[in-house]
Amino acid sequence: MAAPNAIPALPVAVPLLTAATLGALRKWLPRPLIDATAIGAAAATLCLSVLLLRLAEQHTLVYWFGNWYPRGHMVLGITFLVDPAGAGLASLAALLTTLALLFSWRQQDAADNHYQPLMLIFLAAMCGFALTGDLFNMFVFFELMSTAAFALCGLKTLEPAPLQGAFNFAITNTIAAFMVLTGIALLYATTGALNLAQIGATLGTRHDPLVLFACTLLTSGFLIKGAIAPFHFWLADAHAVAPTPVCVLFSGIMVELGLYAVLRLHITLFQGTFSGAHAARLRAILFAFGLLTAILGGLMCYAEHHAKRLLAFSTISHSGLMLLAIATGTPVAIAGFFTYLLAHALIKSALFFLSGILLHRLRTISEPLLFGRGRPLRYTGLLWLLASLGLAGAPLFLTMHGESLVSHAAEGLGQAWVPYAFLLAGALTAAAALRFGMRTFCGWGQGGISDAAADVGELPETSESDATICWYQVVPPTLCLAAAIACCLLPRLPTQILDAALRLHDQPGYIQTVYTGTAAAATPLAAADLSHRAAALHGSLAGVLALLLASTSVFRQRLPRALRLGAFLEGPLPWLRNLQSGHPGDYVTWIVVGAATLGCCLLFLT
Amino acid sequence: MPHILNMLPYVVAAWLFCCGLYGLVTSRHLVHFVICLAILQTSTYMLLLGIGYRVQGAAPVFADINPGRTTVDPVVQALMLTDVVVEAVVVALLLAIVVKAFEKSGTVDPADLRTMKG
Repeated sequence: MAAPNAIPALPVAVPLLTAATLGALRKWLPRPLIDATAIGAAAATLCLSVLLLRLAEQHTLVYWFGNWYPRGHMVLGITFLVDPAGAGLASLAALLTTLALLFSWRQQDAADNHYQPLMLIFLAAMCGFALTGDLFNMFVFFELMSTAAFALCGLKTLEPAPLQGAFNFAITNTIAAFMVLTGIALLYATTGALNLAQIGATLGTRHDPLVLFACTLLTSGFLIKGAIAPFHFWLADAHAVAPTPVCVLFSGIMVELGLYAVLRLHITLFQGTFSGAHAARLRAILFAFGLLTAILGGLMCYAEHHAKRLLAFSTISHSGLMLLAIATGTPVAIAGFFTYLLAHALIKSALFFLSGILLHRLRTISEPLLFGRGRPLRYTGLLWLLASLGLAGAPLFLTMHGESLVSHAAEGLGQAWVPYAFLLAGALTAAAALRFGMRTFCGWGQGGISDAAADVGELPETSESDATICWYQVVPPTLCLAAAIACCLLPRLPTQILDAALRLHDQPGYIQTVYTGTAAAATPLAAADLSHRAAALHGSLAGVLALLLASTSVFRQRLPRALRLGAFLEGPLPWLRNLQSGHPGDYVTWIVVGAATLGCCLLFLT
Repeated sequence: MPHILNMLPYVVAAWLFCCGLYGLVTSRHLVHFVICLAILQTSTYMLLLGIGYRVQGAAPVFADINPGRTTVDPVVQALMLTDVVVEAVVVALLLAIVVKAFEKSGTVDPADLRTMKG
């Protein structure tokens, strides 16, 4: 065995230690130094994660804390298992955190609220969550991530809305944590193990009510974090009130980590449980949840007029699409999941940064109030419209490649409708963002439909006196958007992502790696010989549909009544929007309903 | 009888879980919400203790007992301690939010607090 190499622990240790230091010395350090240290720590984490990614590409790293190696079949210690998928997610989290911290450089109210230490704790927890190979460790990082997120969400304590959002967020996600913990306890009682590999090996092909119950609890718990309908209600409330840089992390990576956990657990723990005919039925169940989420999120997104809530519902819709990819479950689909995740994270982050610039410059992000006022912000407007097209998966953007991989895999399984789900959800969410952009930055059409939800006071995050746009606010969205386009041009990226997906999908290989520390020879898959022509067609179609739909909203006065589809969708949709009641009790009811439905489906249908 | 007694912790855990959920669904008071969440959490304690318990098991401290002796499972105790610490933080944070909410809006009814919906 090679000398213990502690690099895998560093992406967690560096931000945590920096956070502790900053938290302790905060009162005595000048503001620029705190900012610089926080950005430096996040950037260092980024470098370490990328280094890990490079190392993991050659072979999976297994790090045992305190050198507690497994004895025989028995795992004694806690392990970090660094494979390309986990290291890639950690790198993405670190990248977004660095950009978010850069964006909030010298931001007014970030000074006295523990903002920077909390962001670093959040980053450490996300890295740990992505890298760990231990189920209970996963829960601990899940809770650390959630707690930091609750605090960050409620940072703007000067108004009631953030408190409401943070409270709903905290209640629902803490219930998620208890569900996960109960699931872990049941699995421990069944298998006597907490290590993912050992649980997976012990469970084998067991398919009994107890295992299914544990699976239900774990899946529902992580789907609450992943904002899958009917577990999604907290997300819009939390996103609408959280500070902009925090929204970037919520939408860009936190929600996706919930989905990643579902993927990881379903492969490493339950691949044997759901084999053969069970797999097809499980797929159908997850498809149903994903499709419901994608459509519901899309419709709600189009009905919103508050920029951040609009983007939040778009995140819900896209996380439904990502669940479709997880449900498909083949290596190609998983590669599609990661590609789509990366693309979505970059584009959605860019959009949130831009809404932050709007809030900074124009002091509001409500569509009716902003009408035409964004005209002077030409560059911001250009980026916004481009990013909106990216949401639709238009050609040139990485979203298109992800969509193409997932569609290809789903069609291989006889699920030819999946591309249309991507088309519909992409067109709806992109149309909403385009409509917002056309009205705000171009001043086309009439003012927006008045909407009570858009009038929630959004307190500007910066001081009134200094409303110019600075370089550190423009650079993050530009970088994100450029990366979303440039990633399409990297010739090796598709192969690398496919390799990561293959290794994630290989449960026996994972188990062998944990026990022996050496990677099993992964069965090489011929690089999917994909022509992206179909996806480019779909993407262009989605982009055009989105433009048309947005136009029917914006120019509704000039259209005959029958063609005002956008205006109809933009209208209240009251029964649908009343579900989003803002009352935590209602959200808990939906969680119970959703978990019970999932449980019954797993128990009786698989 | 031993069979029923062995099941008891699980029954209590399930009952507490349902009580907590019922409370959360019907609650009309923010502090009550937090307490219900704490009750929900105690169900995980019961479950973990029930899983780790061994009949006739000693405490898992091997300083003064025969190493071959049956002990209760120390792993779940470690899990439970972590759980206690983690949830103490969450409850403290939630109560802080409630205090702030009361200061800002003078109410502890979630229905009056909400400013966002739809």
